[in-house]
Amino acid sequence: MIQRRTVLQRLIYAAGITAASTLPYGLVRLTMPEARADFSTHLRPPGALKDDLAFNSACIGCGLCGEVCPPRCIQFYQREGGDRANTPYIDPEQKACILCSKCMQACPTEALTEVPRNDVDMGVAQIDRSACYPWVDRGICGACVSICPLGERAIGFKFWNQYQPIVKQECVGCGLCVEVCPHPSLPIRIVKRSEGTVARHSV
Amino acid sequence: MKAKPLFLWRHLNKLRWLTLATVFSMLVLLPFLHVYQTYVSAHAYDLLAPQEKELYDTMEMLTRPFVKDPAEDLDAIKGNTWSGTFFGLKLSDPLAALGQMAAGMNLYTPFLLTALIPVLLTVLLGRFYCGWICPASFLYELNSNFAVLLRRMGLHTGRRHLDKRFKYVVLFAGLVLSMVTGSVLVAAVYPPAVVGREIYYAVALGGFGAGAVFFAVTLLFDLLVSQRGFCRYLCPGGALYSLLGRYRLLRIQRIVENCNDCAKCNAICEFGLDPLRDGFGQECNNCTACIAVCPTDALTFEIKLKDVGYQGYGHLGKRYQREHPADQPSKEVA
Ligand code: SF4
Ligand code: SF4
Ligand code: SF4
Ligand code: SF4
Repeated sequence: MIQRRTVLQRLIYAAGITAASTLPYGLVRLTMPEARADFSTHLRPPGALKDDLAFNSACIGCGLCGEVCPPRCIQFYQREGGDRANTPYIDPEQKACILCSKCMQACPTEALTEVPRNDVDMGVAQIDRSACYPWVDRGICGACVSICPLGERAIGFKFWNQYQPIVKQECVGCGLCVEVCPHPSLPIRIVKRSEGTVARHSV
Repeated sequence: MKAKPLFLWRHLNKLRWLTLATVFSMLVLLPFLHVYQTYVSAHAYDLLAPQEKELYDTMEMLTRPFVKDPAEDLDAIKGNTWSGTFFGLKLSDPLAALGQMAAGMNLYTPFLLTALIPVLLTVLLGRFYCGWICPASFLYELNSNFAVLLRRMGLHTGRRHLDKRFKYVVLFAGLVLSMVTGSVLVAAVYPPAVVGREIYYAVALGGFGAGAVFFAVTLLFDLLVSQRGFCRYLCPGGALYSLLGRYRLLRIQRIVENCNDCAKCNAICEFGLDPLRDGFGQECNNCTACIAVCPTDALTFEIKLKDVGYQGYGHLGKRYQREHPADQPSKEVA
């Protein structure tokens, strides 16, 4: 017959062992703090699962997507990010995606799946009209319009004879316009499609 | 008649070091190739900084004989041992498949299929990945050699024995935590995945990440607590491989007639197993270091589902000879 005390002892041992075995995981959590990081300007690579939680659980952090990316725009949460640890992101202010689709082909998991170029949806560009040079009448720019790989369908000028850029619905959020836009004002950024193209602008 | 193991088995250990070194150098080379590819596809050689030009030229020299279009053709080999592509064949670590399954709580067959070949090989060959391929193993073995050096200099290194079953608890805890947090946590504490990734971060993305800290801690653990302690007691992947390789077909076995009980095999075994007493078990990674070190050819490979039990003292050993004077051949020429 098993004594109640032995049962208790075993339970305590089991709890101790389980606690100790989570130590490596705890260590990793400590080295990857979530709080400090600001992810607001980060995009997931093209073809990513829409739900970020689903993306985290699908991505195994193999780095393959980064390793095939020709412009090396794919970065990884290396030192912070909590649950995002080692998953990829693109910061278009640094380097934007050229929509080559290599990462989608390379990804072994369902984190990135191949979608045609026009159906990529990393977000949508949004122009802050109180900071963009042509919109505030500080000269002619239009760099964003001329670089856009989707052309007139995604971004164009307000009227054919004006130089104020306007983003259209077919923008896929690659961020090339953000990369090319002259700093430091950076009036253009990529936001979630649900946030719309012009919703925030008053002009 | 004494059985003689195939002469090849003795030299497998050298081949093993060669494979380990090759895998590791590939992990270093691939990120450089990727950086080179990004330069090629940018078509901006003239804008590169002097060191970047140097890298470009070196990589161009190394790869020109093999590829026509470096930007495309060099994509043939990519990734690391955690998951990679090899001429169109996608391979992943079984732990990656299991961890991802746990985190997402669903099955994604195309990904699971990439782990099929490694799983099959492990079922046949046991924990061979740990001894023959794992890039972290390469560093850990060098680390154990370093520990030997430290001991010669009179410093203490850890040689503690813990419970081998602990790593199964770590694996289990990792899978449960992955499920709860919804992120593939095992990837963060699995040294080969960490090593492959960190080399890529360091070379191509300009700096080590947090994983490097974790890996350094495991190296210290091996030095201060137990030789190869992480692999033996904590590694979730090692645990999975041990389980998968439990009924492996390829096993090392002692030929008791040839053994002289010198215990060199036990001393060299990185995993602290007990070949001298026929103790291999599911942890043996078929690394063949014991075969290579045995002075009397007393260890060989066998195709078997189970280890033999303890066979008693080696027949060339003093003790056996004292106890069985009748068995001894009268001074045969060797
Ligand atoms: S589509 Fe091409 S450029 Fe864009 S992130 Fe993927 S690999 Fe990089
Ligand atoms: S290739 Fe896929 S699984 Fe690997 S890091 Fe990129 S998104 Fe994650
Ligand atoms: S508008 Fe900008 S983000 Fe949208 S597709 Fe064009 S370049 Fe890419
Ligand atoms: S590149 Fe920037 S500043 Fe120039 S027009 Fe586009 S958004 Fe405005």
